[in-house]
Amino acid sequence: MLRYLALKGLHGAVLLAGLAVLSFVLVSLSPIDPIRAYLGDAATRMSPEQKARIADRWGLNDPAPLRFSKWAGRLLVGDFGVSRIFNKPVLQVIGERFWVSLNLMVSAWLLSGLIGFGLGVLAGARRGSGLDRCIRLYAYILASTPAFWLGMVLLVVFSVKLGVAPICCASPVGVAYAEATLGEKVRHLALPALTLSIIGVANIALHTRQKLLEVLESDFALFARAQGETTWGIVRHHGLRNILLPAVTLQFASFSELFGGAVLAEQVFSYPGLGEATVLAGLRSDVPLLMGLVLFSAVFVFVGNTLADVVYRWVDPRIRLGGGT
Amino acid sequence: MPRKSTLSTVAVLVCLLACSKEPPPDGGRQPAHQERKSVSCEEVVVVEAEPAEGFDPLLGWGSYGNPLIQSTLLQRDADMRLVGDLAESWSLSEDRLTWHIRIRPGARFSDGTPVTARDVAFTFNRAALAGGKTDVTVLEKAVPTCPYEVELRLKKPQITFVNRLVTLGIVPEQAYGETYGRNPIGSGPYRLVQWDEGRQAILEANPLYYGPRPGIRRVVLLYLKEDTAFAAAKASSVHVTRVPQILARQKIPGMAVRSIPSVDNRGICFPVLPAGAVQLAEGYPVGNDVTSHLSIRRAINYAIDRKALVDGVLEGYGSAAYGPVSRLPWDEPQGAIPDGDPEEARKILAEDGWQDLDGDGIVEKGGLEARITLLYPTDDAVRQALALAVADQVRRIGIEMVVTARSWDDLYRLMYAHPVLFGFGSLDQTEMHNLYYGKRQGDRVHNPGFYRNEKVDRYLEQAMTAKTEEDAIAFWRKAQWDGETGYSARGDAAWAWLVNVDHVYFVDDRLDLGRPRIEQHGSSITANLPEWRWKEGTCSATSP
Repeated sequence: MLRYLALKGLHGAVLLAGLAVLSFVLVSLSPIDPIRAYLGDAATRMSPEQKARIADRWGLNDPAPLRFSKWAGRLLVGDFGVSRIFNKPVLQVIGERFWVSLNLMVSAWLLSGLIGFGLGVLAGARRGSGLDRCIRLYAYILASTPAFWLGMVLLVVFSVKLGVAPICCASPVGVAYAEATLGEKVRHLALPALTLSIIGVANIALHTRQKLLEVLESDFALFARAQGETTWGIVRHHGLRNILLPAVTLQFASFSELFGGAVLAEQVFSYPGLGEATVLAGLRSDVPLLMGLVLFSAVFVFVGNTLADVVYRWVDPRIRLGGGT
Repeated sequence: MPRKSTLSTVAVLVCLLACSKEPPPDGGRQPAHQERKSVSCEEVVVVEAEPAEGFDPLLGWGSYGNPLIQSTLLQRDADMRLVGDLAESWSLSEDRLTWHIRIRPGARFSDGTPVTARDVAFTFNRAALAGGKTDVTVLEKAVPTCPYEVELRLKKPQITFVNRLVTLGIVPEQAYGETYGRNPIGSGPYRLVQWDEGRQAILEANPLYYGPRPGIRRVVLLYLKEDTAFAAAKASSVHVTRVPQILARQKIPGMAVRSIPSVDNRGICFPVLPAGAVQLAEGYPVGNDVTSHLSIRRAINYAIDRKALVDGVLEGYGSAAYGPVSRLPWDEPQGAIPDGDPEEARKILAEDGWQDLDGDGIVEKGGLEARITLLYPTDDAVRQALALAVADQVRRIGIEMVVTARSWDDLYRLMYAHPVLFGFGSLDQTEMHNLYYGKRQGDRVHNPGFYRNEKVDRYLEQAMTAKTEEDAIAFWRKAQWDGETGYSARGDAAWAWLVNVDHVYFVDDRLDLGRPRIEQHGSSITANLPEWRWKEGTCSATSP
């Protein structure tokens, strides 16, 4: 286990280094001029001298490789730099917003896992029935629905037409997130979380169904049935552990989609989390913040995938970690 | 950008859809038809744009109006005249290089320390070095000469520096540092008591302020997007919120639509050089063979019916613009032309030899068809509507405008060779200067059309080096039209200015806004916040 973790850690470090270089190159090639994005229309009133001052403040005058090495050097001592948009340390921006996003992502993650798995089991156990067809149709529709579009539909129905859900934000108008009650937070979380959970549901439901069908057609299921076991009994006693595996894989591997989906969901619902910050950083070429977010999300996804490996072992002891079968 | 634009467009559509249905008389399910909540005399809730960098004047806070938390040396009153604020007296030396300023004794920062000439000098010296949204680079040095007198020495004469005296909030030397923007201390009418980033800021009257007490003690600035803000207003959670023009027809019980005049303008910048006349280092195309003809630019200016644009696109909330400073004291009224006159426009074209010989409805001259591309930024529905309406109007005189949306990144590459629908508008005359100054040719959004007229340049220079703002105004106006030439539509028609877009707000009926200041591109209604008050008998005295 130790060896596994050491290898995994090394793997992660190499991944992050490569990612940092790659994203820095991409950001450097971005056509967005950060000074122009920063000044907006105020640019008409700024002298060339003032633009030079701004470039100095942000260290834009150095060639890209030098900028990267300076940034990387500071990163090694834990300094992620200062966000240009928010004029405060990148880690502080990420720290504040992470907790807002975490609530969203965790609830969406749990929702998609539970709903997806439940639907998959139902469909698999009632194969060929009307229920199965309905669930499959539902899954196919979800799988081909962009999350942001669905978010807007939910917004129209529940916030605008029915007026039962808030139209935006993580807390009521005029109330700071930290001061909002649990009920208020949940109310504001509901639609974004539902939107975000949709991404995972279809995948998990269809894979779980497929796996359950395999199990139900297997010899041991046939044997159990011969002994008088009901379908639900087979599912409960022989199926669940077996069919959990694809669900768990998908669920933990979906951290990347979760993060990507959060960017869109937060945008639609004006939910002030990491996703919204990512969009801002990209549009305004806030390189320190964008790089910080890229690294942070990479760690997030990496941890998710590692957790998947560990959970495999728990679900199915036949799988051993660290290769060497 | 495109995604964001789609989202907000859809959100607006959603709103329209939802609101276009008449609500049932009993109030129905919509939460918007409750009684308006009672208000406290002590508090007002206003939707604003958030200063993400914080409340630091050296980085640009307050440069669009009033820093509120800090006070400035001068202010502009509701008639645009310069009046003293922190400054008791001010004068510019004969060589136009040194401002002598005497500040009022007895002013204190909200932490109790006195405001002295040292703080003023520190603010200006530091701002000259800070890479923010306020440009003080012309300052050579600020020197305190007495406890309450300071000299601001300039590198070169620049009358528009007076705008820095109006907008740059004075910060305390002792308390200024990296985190000042989040813990601002100033001598303005308000002090910041709380800022929940991304959501709201709360201001309270500064008890140490030297001026009259603000009419409302506590101000909650909510940082919401437009569509969300509209929903919040319907739920009666806010008292003042800006809405896009198209939502101004909506009804919110207890709120009235208030349209604030602005210099927030929209206009088309024409490339005035023929294609390929100049090479740019970046390799972007420069010049346009059609718009390089004066007759084309003038004909377009005459053909455009600005009043129709105001009524049709802006729902009446705006005014015709004939230059970048329409409505301001330095606008030359002679620069306005009798527009909406396709006859005159056709005459101008015919006199220059533009004729429709092949009968396709488009005039040509020497084999060149009068066909141009008009570009506008993708994320702006108002500019799209303006562009389409203009294209429709000029088609009647035989000029074809192909209206095309592009991202800003593309526009910044293409603006030297194609007409672009820009939006500007500032109380700082530097903007007008830069848009038309020959030495700023092709310097990004300064004069992208490569316009140059030596006489105009001379007027602009004379204005810049004038002794007072009043003296400068005569030259600013001559640059537009001096009786023979100028940059306006009557002269070189370097741009076709279209409209000034009023800023439209829903305002609680019980709120008295005093005399709101004229607004600028990107400014807000809060410039005269201390003048606001609740009308007699409409509010309850209990504190919130």
